[in-house]
Amino acid sequence: MGNFLHRHRRLTPYLLLAPGVAWLAVFFLVPLAFLGYQSLQSGTFPNYEFTWEFANFTEAISDYREQLFRSFLYAGIATVVSLLLAYPLVYWIAFRAGPWRNLFLLFIVAPFFVTYLIRTLAWLNILADEGPVVGALRGLHLLGPNEGLLYTTLAVVAGITYNFFPFMALPLYVSLEQIDARLLEAAKDLYASPVRAFLKVTLPLSAPGIVAGTLLTFIPAAGDFINAELLGTPKQQMIGNVIQAKFLESLDYPTAASLSFVLMAAILVALLVYARAVGSERLTG
Amino acid sequence: MTLLRRHALTAYALLVVGYLMLPIAVVILFSFNDPVGRFNYVWQGFTLDNWVEWDASLGLRDSVLVSLELGLLATLVATALGTLIALAIVRHEFRGRATANLVVFLPMSTPEIVLGASLLTLFLNLTSVFTLGFGTIFIAHVMFIISFIVVTVKARLIGFDRHLEEAAMDLGANEWTTFRKVTLPLLAPAMLAAALLGFALSLDDFVITYLNAGGEQTFPVYVWGIARVAVPPQVNVVASAIFLVAITLALGNAVWQIRTARRQRQGAR
Amino acid sequence: MTRPLTRRQLLERAALGGAALTLPGFLAACGGGGDGGDAGGDELAAVLRFANWPLYIDIDEETKKRPTLDEFTRRTGVAVDYFEEINDNAEYFAKVQGPLSQGRGIDRDIFVFTDNSRFPGLLIDEGWVQKLDKELIPNISNLIEAQASPPFDPEREYSLPWQSGMTGIAWNEELTGPVTSIEQLFEDAKLKGKVSMLMEQADSVGLVMLANGDDPAEVSDETYDRAIDRVQAAVDSGQVVRFTGNDFAQPLTQGELAACVAWSGDMIQLLADNPKLKWGVPKDGGMIWTDNMFIPTGGSVPTASTYMNYVYEPPVAAKIAAYVNYVPPVQGAKEELLKIDPEIANNTLIIPDDELLAQLHQYDSAALANDEHISKWQTVLGQ
Repeated sequence: MGNFLHRHRRLTPYLLLAPGVAWLAVFFLVPLAFLGYQSLQSGTFPNYEFTWEFANFTEAISDYREQLFRSFLYAGIATVVSLLLAYPLVYWIAFRAGPWRNLFLLFIVAPFFVTYLIRTLAWLNILADEGPVVGALRGLHLLGPNEGLLYTTLAVVAGITYNFFPFMALPLYVSLEQIDARLLEAAKDLYASPVRAFLKVTLPLSAPGIVAGTLLTFIPAAGDFINAELLGTPKQQMIGNVIQAKFLESLDYPTAASLSFVLMAAILVALLVYARAVGSERLTG
Repeated sequence: MTLLRRHALTAYALLVVGYLMLPIAVVILFSFNDPVGRFNYVWQGFTLDNWVEWDASLGLRDSVLVSLELGLLATLVATALGTLIALAIVRHEFRGRATANLVVFLPMSTPEIVLGASLLTLFLNLTSVFTLGFGTIFIAHVMFIISFIVVTVKARLIGFDRHLEEAAMDLGANEWTTFRKVTLPLLAPAMLAAALLGFALSLDDFVITYLNAGGEQTFPVYVWGIARVAVPPQVNVVASAIFLVAITLALGNAVWQIRTARRQRQGAR
Repeated sequence: MTRPLTRRQLLERAALGGAALTLPGFLAACGGGGDGGDAGGDELAAVLRFANWPLYIDIDEETKKRPTLDEFTRRTGVAVDYFEEINDNAEYFAKVQGPLSQGRGIDRDIFVFTDNSRFPGLLIDEGWVQKLDKELIPNISNLIEAQASPPFDPEREYSLPWQSGMTGIAWNEELTGPVTSIEQLFEDAKLKGKVSMLMEQADSVGLVMLANGDDPAEVSDETYDRAIDRVQAAVDSGQVVRFTGNDFAQPLTQGELAACVAWSGDMIQLLADNPKLKWGVPKDGGMIWTDNMFIPTGGSVPTASTYMNYVYEPPVAAKIAAYVNYVPPVQGAKEELLKIDPEIANNTLIIPDDELLAQLHQYDSAALANDEHISKWQTVLGQ
């Protein structure tokens, strides 16, 4: 086995890629191609015709600009907040938790063992107007006597943040975990303050994790629909809700398909800008 | 001062974990609720009945078993495939590298409803090969989990210290042995973290699963279905049970690690 | 072609335990699941594959069996594979439209769609459902008058009602006095920001039309726009805070919402936990909707028709209504219910009296398919 790989070194990357990419090719790219075909159709359900209807795309962008922008805004805020919340926690798990690490990693992921609906109902319970949280906030005069937390932009963004927290925390952990504690010791020995040690040693070494976490949070969050559906009002609807409605209620498959491609393209553009900013080696190594 | 800072970080960590666990606490609490009607929104009284008769909701148990089986299987396969892709992209320069990178990001950016629906169309056009059911859900789950695995494992591979591998090869190991004995063990924690993420994704998925399941039901499909008319406390019981079992396993793992470390230290003396 | 038994089918068979002890039942259980798929032939299939909404049929909580289904199997020898896989008209339709549009079956003999969605009309227009065999359904004469001739299926050739439900206004007594009209819902300042409406167009827009003095059974662009504008105004002013599925239940119970457009069936359950919740038909009228049984392409018409005939026997209808708490479409169900559970029989939310029925209206089913209307409604929802 070892010799075979050695002799066919050029083939190695392709061999490594083959099974995974084959799976994606058949079960993602083929459906995606069909989706592309759908996006250029016109007509009404179920009699669509393929008419190279590029107008679907332009109409999609102009009609749903607001929701597109809002989705990116919410996803962006959620990503930043998630990063700020998660980093100290993950730092603690990687460097201070010792044998309890896996337990705390489990705590991070545990909310997913309880289906989305159930944990959102729990949040609705906790954040209800009659509940303790709102009561406390009103007592501190952070909320007016008639204001609440639910059915607001705050609720939707908080929902997205909470929902995607593991997607930020786990990749962060992955890159923090590998940092050799001795590097930090060396920095200390060289009279660096803890803050400097962090800024000059830990932070740069954890950069791949930050990049991975932000990608794994932002990209799916932009297409999220369920938080806006359960926690928001018509003013908080995201592009995911539009696509969902177009597909299920309006039976307008071409528009749903073209909107999906618009979203994908927008995300890829954002990705390119991001890669430029952080340096593309961070994304590919 | 450093003492304060040290404890401040721990305090913060516990606070965040508290925030994460808050809804779980409510879920566990309400699993002991004794509602008169079919919904579980108002606290009415404490009872252990729900835990004793956890199986009372028809279809709940089957859906949980399917979800767990599916989660484990799909995560296993996706982690293997995803790790291979990550290795290829990070460690090799080859034609098509950028494309491969791009293809990995695409599933994550596709809204679930259209992803699920177009996959369903694929299955429906190939009914001689695919019957809607466990198999098709498995295929779908692996498909959308792979991307997350790749990105997570890549974060470990970028900046991976290759000196250990080089040392191994200098000592005569060939590439395969080095991979097995050096690379893989170092990669294991990252693969575990990625697998955890994948498992969570699989357990929680509703839209893609619902469309491609045929008559099969997973736990989320069951809950979303029944929530229209009822929220039986048994759902809370099952969710709490899964959580508690997982915590117990992790606790056991932690204790085992402490013991092993202690034994090693004693052995070293 | 016989498919091997899946694990699920095996469990269902085991649950039907008693049925297997009769010879026909035993043969049915061993026969595998695949035979019901052939639409041709006058014979009863070995298995009836019934897709329905969750908790929409009677369940014996002790034995975890479904008594009326077991009884059906005992009588006819046909086993029943019951799938609680419909949780939303649109989502279920998305799941089944693929094979149906290709003229293929979906391995089901009966499925259930609500008549205030566009799907019944669509299914019939496209020819994706089969005609009932009325010779096998003499009990169709038990169908209540009000359901005899719905606009989407005037001759009742393709569908039969399963259960009906009502749409009205629910309110929380702790937060407000009785909310008896859409006008009050939209204008009462005390309710501002604590009002929700249903996402289902027919439910919400229908009620507003009634409040405008228009007839929801005859929708014109004018009457539609009038209603939509009124809803949009209420949303813009912040009076109506959101649109819900049945997720109004928890916020209403907890006081997050003070008044909601709500379905009657859910209220019966919510009332049990919280007596402060009330439900009523608005003074200008409420809406009534009906879940209908259809036979999809590839389903076995004789088997499905036989089952439909069975559930139109008043005693069976009564048993189902007693558990489900929705409105049975069968004449004589009330009398039978009085024998089983007088409290339920006298609950007008489950068996509405004529006075109540007169206040309930149906939505124009042709208008349900109007894409422009749907578009405008989606805009109000923010989508």
